[in-house]
Amino acid sequence: MQEIVESALFAAKKAGASYVDIRSIQREEEDITTKNGAVDAIKRTSSKGFGVRVIANGGWGFSSSFIATPEEGERVANEAVQIALASSKTKLEDAKMSDFKVHQDRVPQPVKIDPFEVPVTKKIMILLEADKAMNVQGIIVRKSSMHFSKEWKTFASSEGAYIEQERIVSGAGISVVATDGKEMQVRSYPGSFGGDYQRKGFEFVEELDLVSHGKEIAEQSIKLLSAKQCPSGTMDIVLGGSQMALQIHESVGHPTELDRVLGEEASFAGTSFLTADKLGTFRYGSDIMNITADATIPEALGGFAYDDEGVKAKRVYLVKDGIFVGYLNSRETAAKLGLEVMGAMRADNWNKMPIIRMTSINLEPGDKTFDELIKGVDHGILMETNKSWSIDQNRLNFQFGTEIGWEIKNGKIQEMVKNPTYTGITYEFWRKCDGIANKDFWHVWGVPNCGKGEPIQVMQVSHGTAPARFRDIKVGVLK
Amino acid sequence: MIGKERVLDILKNVISLSNADQTEALFMGDESHLTGFANNYIHRNVGGKDCSLSVRVAIGKNVGSAMVNSFSEEVVKKVVHDAILIAKNQRENLDFVSFAKPEQRKDRDFFVEATANCTPELRAEYVSKILSKTKAKGFIGSGKFETNALEVGVANSLGVERYTKLTISTLKSVVLTDTSSGYSEYSSVDVNKIPLDDIIRESVKVAEKSQNPVSIEPGKYEVILTPYALAELIGSLCYIALNARAMNEGMSFLIGQIGKKVLGESITMLDDGLSQETISLPFDFEGVPKKKVMFFDKGVAKGVVYDTLTAYKEGKKSTGHSLPQPNPYSPYPMNLIMEGGESSREKMISHVEKGLYVQRFWYTNPMDPRNTVITGMTRDGLFLIENGKITKPVKNMRFVESIATALNNVLELSKERKIIYDMASVTVPYARIKDFTFTGKTEF
Repeated sequence: MQEIVESALFAAKKAGASYVDIRSIQREEEDITTKNGAVDAIKRTSSKGFGVRVIANGGWGFSSSFIATPEEGERVANEAVQIALASSKTKLEDAKMSDFKVHQDRVPQPVKIDPFEVPVTKKIMILLEADKAMNVQGIIVRKSSMHFSKEWKTFASSEGAYIEQERIVSGAGISVVATDGKEMQVRSYPGSFGGDYQRKGFEFVEELDLVSHGKEIAEQSIKLLSAKQCPSGTMDIVLGGSQMALQIHESVGHPTELDRVLGEEASFAGTSFLTADKLGTFRYGSDIMNITADATIPEALGGFAYDDEGVKAKRVYLVKDGIFVGYLNSRETAAKLGLEVMGAMRADNWNKMPIIRMTSINLEPGDKTFDELIKGVDHGILMETNKSWSIDQNRLNFQFGTEIGWEIKNGKIQEMVKNPTYTGITYEFWRKCDGIANKDFWHVWGVPNCGKGEPIQVMQVSHGTAPARFRDIKVGVLK
Repeated sequence: MIGKERVLDILKNVISLSNADQTEALFMGDESHLTGFANNYIHRNVGGKDCSLSVRVAIGKNVGSAMVNSFSEEVVKKVVHDAILIAKNQRENLDFVSFAKPEQRKDRDFFVEATANCTPELRAEYVSKILSKTKAKGFIGSGKFETNALEVGVANSLGVERYTKLTISTLKSVVLTDTSSGYSEYSSVDVNKIPLDDIIRESVKVAEKSQNPVSIEPGKYEVILTPYALAELIGSLCYIALNARAMNEGMSFLIGQIGKKVLGESITMLDDGLSQETISLPFDFEGVPKKKVMFFDKGVAKGVVYDTLTAYKEGKKSTGHSLPQPNPYSPYPMNLIMEGGESSREKMISHVEKGLYVQRFWYTNPMDPRNTVITGMTRDGLFLIENGKITKPVKNMRFVESIATALNNVLELSKERKIIYDMASVTVPYARIKDFTFTGKTEF
């Protein structure tokens, strides 16, 4: 790799680049899925390549290749400069980046059990046992899945950075579909859309204990078919941890991305209501709302040692005591607003240019038990596990649906309800948060599929949260 | 791009190295470039080349697969070895019968050299023309100009051997003012057919006309959906209803409805990868030539698309709609075409007493797939129509609607249609639809 790095850095500078970085990734992945008692697919993927990012004549350019040779490094660097010079034809000012401490480091990721050392047969056995546990009459689809990845990333820059870091991820989940011929209901464990993911080894899959949750979700999905519809109206809601993760993701994570705020994502993902004039003064939520961006949590899917600009991982507040106090930023966007860079530039692979992404965006724990959250509700709904999500491009009007809900009456969980949904305006919703469960209920949920950018990039992020309570929310908007 | 001869050599080599009962090899190579712009300048300008070689083997009913992004001799040997090892450690997939069998048909390329050879300088030139207009108006230009060249080869030990090349270019313009935005987009295999002036005109005009929007109350409205907006709804149907997987998994509203009239009389919809009105590969990722599949003929449900696995399971033939396997989203309609009507955008507007003109939907998501209920927001242009005329811009609103109900409530379709390309191609007209349900609103 060293030869390619040197070749690309030298060639780009020779071609006129004022800044160059090169990032290479070698990645192995394994995906196993079972469906209805049989192995649906097993796939092993390996990929490697590198990307070169440059500033030349004040414009940005990026090029990449899967051919890992010094000659290709030189060609790609020259192409990146050619692209940057084309960019510079429309520049309004030269691209500038904030200063930061340049690092040289090597960061392996220790895990208890290397997932790639665990035999495929053992993984299949766990998935099929979970499948068997879900085999309840009335279930038409049973799915179980595991995902593992291991990558080695090297980052070097013309400023002298040279960082190598390892990343190992494990994830798993199960789900069922029940139908009575007229409607379908789904249930998942531990979360929807593939389950839960962490930067851990195979021990994470063992901790999830998929098998012992199979029967419960199968029976719940059957029961949902005959459950009553979620009532409509304005009422209190308590959101379970996995749904809270998505609520944080869509209504706090994305709007605090500074590239969106500055209009750089207007073409696709959209912009943000959190304009720069709101920084430090805007009341985002109630006093108990504290949100951190924390890339330093050792096992969090959104964590890392260094971001893809070589900035060391940090923990910063985005919302403190309900007030909006920080953005997710990059060296360039931080410089535009005169902020300190916090390290949120990430690319989903070697062939993509880094953009601002969530790290681990967390709602800090509150002081209540789960029972206390429920006890404080006269009439409301407990909702769990995301089923659908939608939010406008400024991140204000959102609507979420969950797989399952229960009515809460007089401080007690009552009857199961189906098709629960709720809707609101982001800051109005968070201002109505009056209870957050304590650290005993806090968990960092891995979200492996956050889409953003053009070309689209799918990023692994995470959200630490506990269940939380919100007052007077519009519920039950399913037609 | 390494060319037909080299790709087929690699694929044949894979097959010769495998001692499995059946072996399939898929090669995909791409050279992609995207010039992104925002705030009236090019802010993200990227390019690169990548490839993938996927090997699938079957030993009895044990299927294993492995993929790598290289094709050196050493790597090819390893990927074949890995796929076989996985298959040996696999359990039987009782639904598996065979990989695709060869079918004779001459393939044609959707490949244009000018697109493949498009330079960063040319893309910057197009973008500059958009930005000079937005700057002159005091607006902000954003969007992307993307040019991609792909090559795909598939071969298997049963005799399938196919290769094709494809180019795609897409120019998108999103124009922002202080209080509004406008949108236009066009995709073509030929970069020279991108109608730059039309894209500038539409996106700037919509942004200009939608300034200072008013807030109106949610409720049922008659709507005119542009092809951009209608494609968002129809694209969701591709996933939740129009494929054999959705039928098998209890998700499709067409379960038990084939042969019955489920949509309005004006709705005829099919998948046709060979049409001139789409952007397509001539065969799917298992090497099966694409077949024309009728979904709805004058509102009557006719069928869905299949890949090899789902077809064998039902004793049918693949329709040529496999995605790269293994894939939880396969089969999938990649070339949906909806027939138009006799009307026009202007006539439709003149026929609305009170309603909404929707330029685009955004962030749609199925809430109840079995009943095709979907939610989403309007974006980049929403207008009130009163007494046959567009009267004022409206702040964006949330809708919750059943797609099937909406397609039963179609009052008019335009003759004009547009190809909307976003990984798959959807060709649709303008539509006037009654009783479309909006449930919420936002602040802009």
